[in-house]
Amino acid sequence: MIDILFYVFAALALGGAMGVVAGRSPVASLLFMVLCLGSVAGIYVLLEAHFLAAVQVIVYAGAIMVLFLFVIMLLNLGHNYHPDLKAGLWSALSFAVAGALFGFLGRQLWGNRTMTPEAGDSVDALVAQYGAVGAIARPLYTEWVVPFEITGILLLVAIVGALVLAKQRV
Amino acid sequence: MVIDFSSNLDYVRALLPEIILCVWGMVVLMAGVWRGESSEEGPRAEGLGWLALVGVAFAAVANGWLHGVREVGTDGMIAVDGFRLFSNWIFLTAALLGMLVSFAYVYRQRLQAGEYYALMLFSVAGMMFMAGARNLIVVFLGLEVMSIAVYALSAFNRRDRRSAEAGLKYFILGAFSTGFFLYGIALTYGATGSTHLPTIALAVSNGTAHGALLLFGVALMGVGFAFKVSAVPFHMWAPDVYEGAPSPVTAFMSAGVKAAAFAAFFRVFLVSFQGAYESWYGVMWWLSATTMVGANLIALVQTNVKRMLAYSSIAHGGYLLVAITAANQASAGAALFYLLVYTVMNISAFAVVIAVSNHGEERLEFEDYAGLGRNQPGLALLLTLFLLSLAGFPGTGGFMAKFQLLLGAMDAQLWVLSVILVLSTVVSYAYYLRLAWYTWMRDPADGGSPLPVYLPIGMRLALVVGAAVVIWLGLFPGSVLDLARASAAGLGVAGPMVEILH
Amino acid sequence: MNPPFAILAIVQEGSETAVEIAFEPFLPGLILLFPLLGFLVNGALALVSGKRAADVARAGGEWTLPENDRPSTHILPSLVGPGVLFAAFAIVAANFLRMQGAGFESPVVVTYWSWIVTSTFEAAASLQLDQLSMVMMLVVTGVGFLIHVFSVGYMKDDPSYPRYFAYLNLFVFFMLVLVSGASFPIMFVGWEGVGLCSYLLIGFWFKDRENADAGKKAFIVNRIGDVGFLIAMFLLYNKFHTLDFGPVFASAPDTLIYGGSLVTAVTLFLLLGAVGKSAQIPLYVWLPDAMAGPTPVSALIHAATMVTAGVYMVTRTSVLFALAPVGGLVVAGIGALTALFAATIALAQYDIKKVLAYSTVSQLGYMFLGVGVGAYTAGVFHLMTHAFFKALLFLGSGAVIYSIHHALHHTHKDWDAQDMRNMGGLRKHLPVTCVTMWVATLAIAGIWPFAGFFSKDEIIWYAGAAAEGPHTAWYVLFWAMSLVTAMMTAFYMTRMMIMTFHGENRTGEAERKHLHEPPPTMTVPLIVLAVLSLLGGWINVPEALKQSWIGMFGALPMSEWLHHWLEPVVGMAVEIRADHVGEFAKSAPLGGGEVVWAGLSTLMAIAVVVASVAFVRKWVILPATESAEPAGGVRRLLYRKWCVDELYDRVVVRPIVAGSRFLWKVVDAGIVDGLVNVTGSLSRAFGFVGSMFQTGAVNTYAFILTAGVVLILWAVAL
Repeated sequence: MIDILFYVFAALALGGAMGVVAGRSPVASLLFMVLCLGSVAGIYVLLEAHFLAAVQVIVYAGAIMVLFLFVIMLLNLGHNYHPDLKAGLWSALSFAVAGALFGFLGRQLWGNRTMTPEAGDSVDALVAQYGAVGAIARPLYTEWVVPFEITGILLLVAIVGALVLAKQRV
Repeated sequence: MVIDFSSNLDYVRALLPEIILCVWGMVVLMAGVWRGESSEEGPRAEGLGWLALVGVAFAAVANGWLHGVREVGTDGMIAVDGFRLFSNWIFLTAALLGMLVSFAYVYRQRLQAGEYYALMLFSVAGMMFMAGARNLIVVFLGLEVMSIAVYALSAFNRRDRRSAEAGLKYFILGAFSTGFFLYGIALTYGATGSTHLPTIALAVSNGTAHGALLLFGVALMGVGFAFKVSAVPFHMWAPDVYEGAPSPVTAFMSAGVKAAAFAAFFRVFLVSFQGAYESWYGVMWWLSATTMVGANLIALVQTNVKRMLAYSSIAHGGYLLVAITAANQASAGAALFYLLVYTVMNISAFAVVIAVSNHGEERLEFEDYAGLGRNQPGLALLLTLFLLSLAGFPGTGGFMAKFQLLLGAMDAQLWVLSVILVLSTVVSYAYYLRLAWYTWMRDPADGGSPLPVYLPIGMRLALVVGAAVVIWLGLFPGSVLDLARASAAGLGVAGPMVEILH
Repeated sequence: MNPPFAILAIVQEGSETAVEIAFEPFLPGLILLFPLLGFLVNGALALVSGKRAADVARAGGEWTLPENDRPSTHILPSLVGPGVLFAAFAIVAANFLRMQGAGFESPVVVTYWSWIVTSTFEAAASLQLDQLSMVMMLVVTGVGFLIHVFSVGYMKDDPSYPRYFAYLNLFVFFMLVLVSGASFPIMFVGWEGVGLCSYLLIGFWFKDRENADAGKKAFIVNRIGDVGFLIAMFLLYNKFHTLDFGPVFASAPDTLIYGGSLVTAVTLFLLLGAVGKSAQIPLYVWLPDAMAGPTPVSALIHAATMVTAGVYMVTRTSVLFALAPVGGLVVAGIGALTALFAATIALAQYDIKKVLAYSTVSQLGYMFLGVGVGAYTAGVFHLMTHAFFKALLFLGSGAVIYSIHHALHHTHKDWDAQDMRNMGGLRKHLPVTCVTMWVATLAIAGIWPFAGFFSKDEIIWYAGAAAEGPHTAWYVLFWAMSLVTAMMTAFYMTRMMIMTFHGENRTGEAERKHLHEPPPTMTVPLIVLAVLSLLGGWINVPEALKQSWIGMFGALPMSEWLHHWLEPVVGMAVEIRADHVGEFAKSAPLGGGEVVWAGLSTLMAIAVVVASVAFVRKWVILPATESAEPAGGVRRLLYRKWCVDELYDRVVVRPIVAGSRFLWKVVDAGIVDGLVNVTGSLSRAFGFVGSMFQTGAVNTYAFILTAGVVLILWAVAL
């Protein structure tokens, strides 16, 4: 059952991702992206990471995507679409290369589907001890505090960068 | 003083230079905002630059202080070893020179000084995280902090279409390559069950790592690094971005970003993936060979100085890849030394370019350098010095650095690669000398008197420091070389440990 | 003590046999420091004067050097430039005297600081003071000083006068580094440095595009040789784990197999470096072009010092060449072939500097032949005497060009000041130059008792004597080639002298009045060099000749002085050769001892000189502009007077001239240049294709990036 659901969600996520790239209007692309992110949230649920799934839906699919949608609609984008992929040789070559990439990854990884089990065990123990939120929060503020803080800097840098480039007055 | 990461508080001490830089970045940002509209006027913009340099100085003091600190164990997120500290010195040098050459540019182009210098400080912090990381997550985050700051800096001059184009290009392709890099980290985690470098090293060397996953993880992370160090064929972005970005940013990133990427490259591949050397040796061999040959040949036909220096920078990446292919202590030490020399000489060469281009994006063709030797003999002399050093002329730091790389390659018995290195260096003389030739031996085509060159105090300082270091490291490299070699020995901390645990 | 200049260590113990006081070097660092100081001072002056010129140019004018009341930037170099050279020469001479008084076998190495240090490798910034480096330093500073003095007169009207002296001083500094370095890396520093200075000085008058191109050509061709040097260096490092001369040469005979592939490869790569620097076949093409530089530069760099670096290098590494008989044979072969080849080209040149340039290539070939057959002393000996007489010839030609140029300048005549067809009869106007140049001509022609006789004859003798051993046929051939070359040398030098100084003057009526001897700063060096060209050969009269007329029946106090002097340096190589090949023969391939052949060769040289004097004097030479399109009447006149000569011309001269034209035009200018060009355009073409992919489109870049990923995954997976 879980296997089947996983494949369903995975297919939806991949299909959504394809839709983002292939969509003709930005709004359609955005909605495909919501689909993709939602499917990933579903996979999180299957992995019993309920907190992550919730955050994924609330933050990504909820807040960020809606914000994007507003922006796109405000700017009234979506009517000036130009195909930027040259037809013919280039696209054929592109598909060939992309296909080769997936072929390689698939061929190598297909026969090796078993994962190392230890990681899962330790997560289970953490969840049992601290609950779903605690299992993430505790390591985040103890063992992983350095990456956590660096992420803060990263966001600051991203905001400053975006502001510099987007500020009205130059 | 001992640092023990069992207490999280010790991270504050271990990360002192990074913390200072981040905090100072915010201070500069605030100062820029506080100065408000008037901040775009010349002298005040320079004031913010000096303020940022004070932060660099504080970080340097902290980095110096860390030299006296000893670390217990290797299980922290951050390494406190010579390799990190020496790399930090390189980044601080890049920051110092990069900022000094920016002063006049920033206010002539009316860039927003506060954000400009703050982003530079943040990106230096990101570089330091990369070089000091002992965990792939930290490597990744450092890479992103650095990259995003540099993307923004590339597109900083919004009045210039090329700058915006460069920033966008860099951003899109960078994100693309980051995807590969992250996938590589994920696969490596899947293969070894850890993102901690020494633990990965252990898993790789005792064979408990998952073969196929690990192999692909290594390959994809290699791709990510190869993109950042712009190895052929992952170099395509570099010439366009280097040409389009504001010149001081190009100077800063062609040295700093490359140095940081190489530092992390070395740590990850030499510490973690040493056990899988056979599987990535061939790839690195070809990467470095194609990079050296391709970049040098293409540089021959360039007529734009920034573009020529871009290809030159790619070629230097190729030389450094030889050190990764050799993967021994001697090469790691040589590479550190090389990165330091390269940072100084490359930014200094760009400093001359910035001065000649009138702190803007004018006069960037080879033709524009005709008559420089007559009009600005001092500047032309310095340019010639830096070009000779880039080419590896004996007596300059560039020669010493290349010589060390060659010795390292010899130790690893990389004969063919060494010969390619020497031959491509010979080719490189042609284009470096071509610029020198335009400088000294050509009169301006129109015969008109060229614009005067403005050399503010910061630029003068950068040029003098650059020239002094290039000559000093060429003639008396002993002490710095010793430090570089000792620092690289720290890289092997994980090596012996792996053997003990066997 | 100030560390960089403190003598940290005097390595290696003195010899056991030395009963005299040990050799203590006298301030050797100053030998190098003085020229460097000169470079810094003159360089600063050059920057000042360059700035001034630029300021004037910016204001719209052109800065010209005032006739009187010269600025200090143009007075000081006249004192500083030659001054530092003289100071250096004095110190070298003091050391030389000390060294003579002391007896020691192993070289004294003075270490200043550790330069390159790694865990497995160490190279110190150190000088090696031994007999060989002492001879070289004497030549470099001594001849160099004279040429600097000459330059004061020759270049004083040039607006870039201080820059000229800055380059010249820098060159001497690097040359001294080259000859006194105690390890391969230090030598390489000097090696590259002199190449750079040569590039700068050839392109000194860079306003002429051609000159700048000649400079670039010299630099690039030299880099090809440098690759060989570097590879040889790394091969040695891999074997010995050190690159210091002392340990490498001391352990070479035990470590390397005689005739083994490693030592052969090392010598062949070293040879590639030497061939580039010393302008031998096939890398000689840059030297004739290098004549674009000022004439004193040609004298210093392209005749007396830098181009002999290859000979010095082979002598320095003589142990390796002795261990690799094939390497030695190739050196000798290249030398003999170059000597003959360049001499034929020199026969047909009209440009006075081109004659001398090809002559230099030819004489360098002799030196290579000498060191190639194992007669290292003979090679160095010829290097030294050649430095005297060829510097003299170049400086003399400089004096000629100087006065012709001034004369043409006065009347604004647009003629080539270097074409010998525009000269003739200068003997009356430039008597000192004429006499001194005749001395040099007799020296280079190999006529007793001039210096060139002793040195060249020794090389020819050893080439013949080496035939007794393996490769007999080759050495006999080289010997024969060197004899023919000697005859040709006598001819083309005489031809040059006659065309320049004798017969009727062809410069023009008006111009003739302005022809006069250059100032004493230029003539005095000529006289000094003439004395050296006359007497320089006597220091090394072979023992076998001492009692004959050649050695003035034993009247000389010493014989084979240079031979004994260099014994400690090349002794080991000579010993190795004696062990494996045997001693040199006591007679030439056709029989006859040293005295016989020495007498024969000088007689032949005299005969050629006399014959060609008579022969060339009968030529009717027209000024270059008229020779290009001779009028009918003149041609008929020519025809009648040359009835006999015409036959001679057709049978001998024209084939030779045609042959040398062919070599010059087709082989040199056509094939070799063509090859160089093709290599260049090929790599440029590749670069172009490479940048075609640089379309600027992000899509393309992403595509190539992904393709790269696929490639790498493929490589890893397989």
